[in-house]
Amino acid sequence: MSVTTCIRTPGRPVPVTSISRTLKAHILKAEWTKLRTLPSTWRTAALTLAMGIGFSVAVAFSEISQWHTMTAQQRQVFDPTSASLSGVMIAAVVLGTLAVRTVTAEYSTGMIRSTFSAMPARRLVLAAKAATMAAFAFPVTLLGNVAGFELGQRIFAGQHVAVAIGHPGVLRAMFFGAVAVSLVAVIGVGIGGLIRHTAGAATTLALIIIGGLTVGQFLPAGWRQYMPGIATQAAVTVHRSAGLLRPGTAIVVLAVYAAITLGAASLRVAHRDA
Amino acid sequence: MIEAQHLTKRYGTTVAVDEASFAVRPGRVTGFLGPNGAGKSTTMRMILGLDTPSSGSVLVNGQPYRKLTDPLRSVGALLDAKAIVGGRSAASHLAWLADSNGIARRRVTEVLDIVGLSDVAGKRVGTFSLGMNQRLGIAAALLGDPETVMFDEPINGLDPDGILWIRNLMKSLAAQGRTVFLSSHLMSEMAQTADHLLVIARGRIIADTSTDEFINHNSTPSVRVRALQPTDLAATLTRRGGLVERCPDGAMIVTGLDSAAIGGAASADDITLLELAVHGASLEEAFFELTRDETDYHAGQLTGTSQGA
Repeated sequence: MSVTTCIRTPGRPVPVTSISRTLKAHILKAEWTKLRTLPSTWRTAALTLAMGIGFSVAVAFSEISQWHTMTAQQRQVFDPTSASLSGVMIAAVVLGTLAVRTVTAEYSTGMIRSTFSAMPARRLVLAAKAATMAAFAFPVTLLGNVAGFELGQRIFAGQHVAVAIGHPGVLRAMFFGAVAVSLVAVIGVGIGGLIRHTAGAATTLALIIIGGLTVGQFLPAGWRQYMPGIATQAAVTVHRSAGLLRPGTAIVVLAVYAAITLGAASLRVAHRDA
Repeated sequence: MIEAQHLTKRYGTTVAVDEASFAVRPGRVTGFLGPNGAGKSTTMRMILGLDTPSSGSVLVNGQPYRKLTDPLRSVGALLDAKAIVGGRSAASHLAWLADSNGIARRRVTEVLDIVGLSDVAGKRVGTFSLGMNQRLGIAAALLGDPETVMFDEPINGLDPDGILWIRNLMKSLAAQGRTVFLSSHLMSEMAQTADHLLVIARGRIIADTSTDEFINHNSTPSVRVRALQPTDLAATLTRRGGLVERCPDGAMIVTGLDSAAIGGAASADDITLLELAVHGASLEEAFFELTRDETDYHAGQLTGTSQGA
């Protein structure tokens, strides 16, 4: 007679699925506890909001101050939504750096050994870091986007070019902007796992995001739009504009970068001595 | 229980751990003794699955470490107390460790209490002294109430009270039937804490024996003696088979004869003794005796190498 038993006995291991499900839950919980109990996490979130909203407002002012010099065609393609969401670039850099640090701070102090002793499933640890960091970056960026949009539209109202939040594409732009920054955070965790030193990894991330904007100028137009920083900009657009991917495509491109970086970091972290 | 079989770690051409086979058994404190760079920490990292052995294997409670479910419930380890991100509080640091192995949060309060850090539970770890970090590391090791505990140089940075505390803690953990594995380069400390010794030098296990036996086998007891007629005494002791070493202060260190034989010889020859003291062998001496040919660099070798080069 066969009976189903839930008692774990040495000769009869519990089903693999239930072990790995509990394992994943434990690792996710531990990584979330790590992230939220570090005061600098919350300071970084506050900094992201302050700088991001400030940058959105500054760009909105700068755009509208040039309104009277714009050609009719420039006014035609003016995108009041993306012009008020420039803060995503700040969020990408600041939260991306925070993501880098969730890995590099542990390597530089040596705490990674405590982490991997407590959780020997290293790939799951890295995946959990990426997941918690993405989950953290999303609402922070979204909040910044809503604030940036509202303030920006007040500025644009002076020239009667403001759009309402219910306007087609606006909510998508805010949402995609937050998704893009979450994906940049995943890229940050991956770069952290590959480089392991805070300074080197943070610089690399900043170059990929910001440097892409300047170095990207020298790339053929067709390539430039695939730079992570430019793709992040494309994610918050409503109007289709030349030299930028469609928002959905931009998200897919960022997701591919995130998967490649995190995958490479996983392989490296799992196979080297900690 | 920790069992290593031909455990080897090579870095390029350097062999950090060389075919180490040993068992660390429950119910006693096993000291892991060796000079710096002997391979103690590398061995411990391999036990914890942090470094992959070049060959050989090591099992903890019958399993490779990385196969353990909730490893903190089986093995608690403290490798480097300073290896900690400083921004979190002590309680938060223990909280994520507890979460990672499904350990109830109330256990965090318990272990903080055991190590005497309850008052600073909410303080940033970055502000801790080395001694407080050691206590926090020990709290982390005890978190899962593990059957096996492993500490790398745990008394570093502790004050005398702390050292006494940790010595008693190790002994009580062993008395509870746990496996206690403790590395140190401080031989005097090992002599007082460890019941059993595993001695490593240049990556090789050169002794696996009880502490008492180790001292008895690897050191020669000597007698310090001072006499009114030192030359006469030296002559008579040498005649009776003793090995005499004269000290600058007029005393001599005698090996090969015990204090009774020395006293008898002096009285037979009418020599007046001013001092007669048995110099108990120490773990330190035993260690140097055993590792004389094993340590990487000592003066003679160094000269030899430089001439050869």
